[in-house]
Amino acid sequence: MRIALYVTCLVDLMRPSVAFAALRLLEATGNDVVVPPAQTCCGQPAWSSGNRPLAATLAQKAIADLEGYDAVVVPSGSCAEQIVKVYPQLFADDPVWGPRARALAGCTHELTAFLAEVAGLEAVPGEFAGSVTYHDSCKGLRGLGIKAQPRALLARVKGLSLQEMGECEECCGFGGAFAENYADISARIVDRKCDSIAAAGADAVVGGDLGCLLNIEGRLRRRGDEKTRVLHVAEVLAGEVKA
Amino acid sequence: MKAGHSQAMFFQSRAAEKVRNPVLQKALQKAKPLFSGKRAKSMAALPDDGLEFEQLRDACAGIRDRALADLDVWLEIFEDNARARGAEVLWARDGDEICQLVIDVAQRHGVRKVTKSKSMLSEEAQLNEALAAAGIEPVETDLGEYIIQLAGEAPSHIIAPAVHKSLEEVEALFAKTHGRPQEERTSADIPALTREARGVLRQHFLSADMGISGANFLIAESGTAALVTNEGNGRMVTTLPKLHVVITGIEKVVPTLEDFATLMRLLPRSATGQTISNYVSLLTGTRSEEEVEGPTKTVFILVDNGRASLVGSAYQEMLRCIRCGACMNHCPVYFSLGGHAYGWVYPGPMGSVLTPLYTGIENALDLPHASTGCRQCSSVCPVRIPLPDLMHGLREIQHERGLRPWGERLGLRAWAWLATRPALYRALTRLAARYLNWLADGSGRIRIFGFAPGWTAARDLPVAGNRTFFEQYAARKRD
Repeated sequence: MRIALYVTCLVDLMRPSVAFAALRLLEATGNDVVVPPAQTCCGQPAWSSGNRPLAATLAQKAIADLEGYDAVVVPSGSCAEQIVKVYPQLFADDPVWGPRARALAGCTHELTAFLAEVAGLEAVPGEFAGSVTYHDSCKGLRGLGIKAQPRALLARVKGLSLQEMGECEECCGFGGAFAENYADISARIVDRKCDSIAAAGADAVVGGDLGCLLNIEGRLRRRGDEKTRVLHVAEVLAGEVKA
Repeated sequence: MKAGHSQAMFFQSRAAEKVRNPVLQKALQKAKPLFSGKRAKSMAALPDDGLEFEQLRDACAGIRDRALADLDVWLEIFEDNARARGAEVLWARDGDEICQLVIDVAQRHGVRKVTKSKSMLSEEAQLNEALAAAGIEPVETDLGEYIIQLAGEAPSHIIAPAVHKSLEEVEALFAKTHGRPQEERTSADIPALTREARGVLRQHFLSADMGISGANFLIAESGTAALVTNEGNGRMVTTLPKLHVVITGIEKVVPTLEDFATLMRLLPRSATGQTISNYVSLLTGTRSEEEVEGPTKTVFILVDNGRASLVGSAYQEMLRCIRCGACMNHCPVYFSLGGHAYGWVYPGPMGSVLTPLYTGIENALDLPHASTGCRQCSSVCPVRIPLPDLMHGLREIQHERGLRPWGERLGLRAWAWLATRPALYRALTRLAARYLNWLADGSGRIRIFGFAPGWTAARDLPVAGNRTFFEQYAARKRD
C-alpha cells in the first residue's frame, strides 16, 4: 500500500514533530509512505468563513496533490473531516471534480483511525512513563467518530496509564478563526477545559488536533501551569516526546 | 421582515460584558451540568423502555417533515377541527398583528388583567409591552417568567427563562415587590420563595379575565393545542379565566395525536431529562354544556412572523424545531454568555439560525460565526436539525452579499493565493517559523503577538522551533 501523509499547515509551521511521529508510525505499518511535496492548506479557514469559491479552489489543489495513493493519512481530525466530509459536498454536482473529490474522501483517514482500523497496527514504538488524559477534538469525534481508536492505541504504549478527565468530549473553544475573532468567549471555554484537565491531574493532556492542543497549552501556560505536558497523540505513540 | 427589537448587532460588546459578569458566570456554571446530566441520564434509560435514541429521532424528524411538507393542508385541517369544537382561529403575519389581535379580543371582552403561561411568541411580539400600553395588566405565571417580569428583563433561555438569575437577586426582587424585608437566603429556602410566588400568583389566577398560553404542538386531526409544562400554572391560565388565547407558530402543527405521543418520547427527555413532564394538557375547543370548567371562549392566533418564508427554502429543517432547548444546553458558547448576549428572543444555536432568518441576515452578522463548530447541538437535537450546517449556510450568504469584513476577505485571498504557489508558500512559511522563533526568544512561547492579539490576550502561543516540517524533512532526505 502506498500511503500519502498530509502534514497540515499548522503541523508544518507550529509542531513539525507531529508529522515526523506520524511518518514513523505509518512506516511501522510496513507500507510505503510518501509526503506529497506540493501540499499546502486544505482550505478549511476559507470554508469556515463562508467563502465557498476560495474553499473550492484550495480543495481542487489538495485533491490534485493527494489523489492516486492507496490511502491519505492526516494527523488531524478537522483537516481529515474537511477532506472526507466537505470536499464531496463542495463538488456534489460537478461532473469532473465530484468523482475526484469522492475518490479522495473514500481513501482519506484520520491518523489514529487509520492505524487502528485500516493498518491494524499492533505494536506501537512509543513509551511514556506517566499518566495522560485524552481530549476528544470535536471534528474528529462528532464528524468522523474518532473516540475508541486513539485510546486503543494509547493502551499499547509501554508505561502509559489513561486518566480520563470529566467532560472529555466538551469543546476546548478553539474553532479556528473563532479563537481570534471571539477571543473572550473562546478564553472562557478553554478555561473550563483547563479546569477539567487540572482536576484529572494527569502528567499530560493528549489529543489528535494541533489547533486544540495549541489552544489548551497556551491557556494552561498563561494560567501558570508549567507542569502538565500537552502532546499530540502521534508524538506519544511514536515516542517523539522529549523528556 | 423588520429587525424588530433585535439587539443582535451588539453581540460582541455584550459578550465581552457577559464573560466578565461573575454572578452570571456562577449561575451558568451551576446550571450546565444539571441540564446535560439530566438529559444524558434519561437518554441512557431509553433502552429500559425498549426505545432507542437514533430511531426515535428519525421518527420525530419524520413526523415534523411530513407536517411541513403539506403545512398549508394540515393548518386548514387544524382550523376546521378547532372551529368545529367552538374555537375561533385567527392568523397573524407578524408581532404587531399578534398584539393587535390580542388587544382587540381583550377589549371586546372588557379584559383588564391577563395571566400568561410561557410563550416565546409573545416575546417575539413584545406582547407584554403592548398590553400594558393598552391599559391591560399582563402577569407572567411561570416562576422563571414571573421573576424576569419583576426584573424587567427578557428570558435568557427558552425553557429556563431566569437561569441567569442568582438566588440573591431573586430574593431582592421578591422582597421589593412583595413588600417585605430582605433576608439572608440559601438554596434550602427555594421552596419557601416558590410558595411566596405561588401565593401572589394565586390572586392573579382568580382575578384574571383572560389567559394567554403558547402551544407546544397543534394537533390537526382534533383541533387540539398540546401544552407541556411542569408548574401547573399552565392549567390555571388555560382553565380559570373565561377567555383563553393560544398564540403559537404555524410550524407547530402535527397531523395526529399519535404523532404527538411519539414526539413526547423525546421532548421532555431532551429538555429537562424527564420521561414525561409534570403536566401534559390537551386543550380542545371551549367548555361544553356538560363541563363545569374551562374557558367559554378559546381563540387561536396562528403566527407566521417569518416562518412561511423558510418553507421550501434551504432552511426548512429549522422549522422542525420543537423548542426543547437541548441545543443551547449543550453549547459551549451559550454557557459562556447566557442568552441575553444573543440579542433577540432565541439564544444558543437555534437562535444563531433563527435570529438572522427572522430579523434579517444583515442584522445579526456575528451569530452564525459565534460557534466553534463543535457540533454538540446537532448531536443532541431530537429532530435532527443540522444546526452547524445551517449556520454555515448563513456564513456563505454573508460572504456572497459582501457582508464579511474587508480584512478577513483580503487575508483569506492572500492566504489562498499563497497556498496555491507551493514554492513561495514553503519559502514564506520558513521565514514565518524563524520569525515566530525569534519572537519566542528561547522561551518556547509568544506572550504578545500582533497578528493574533485576541489569541494572546488570554493565552500564550506555543512555538516549537525555528524550522518548518518541510524544511527539516528535505534536510533529512538529503542526509
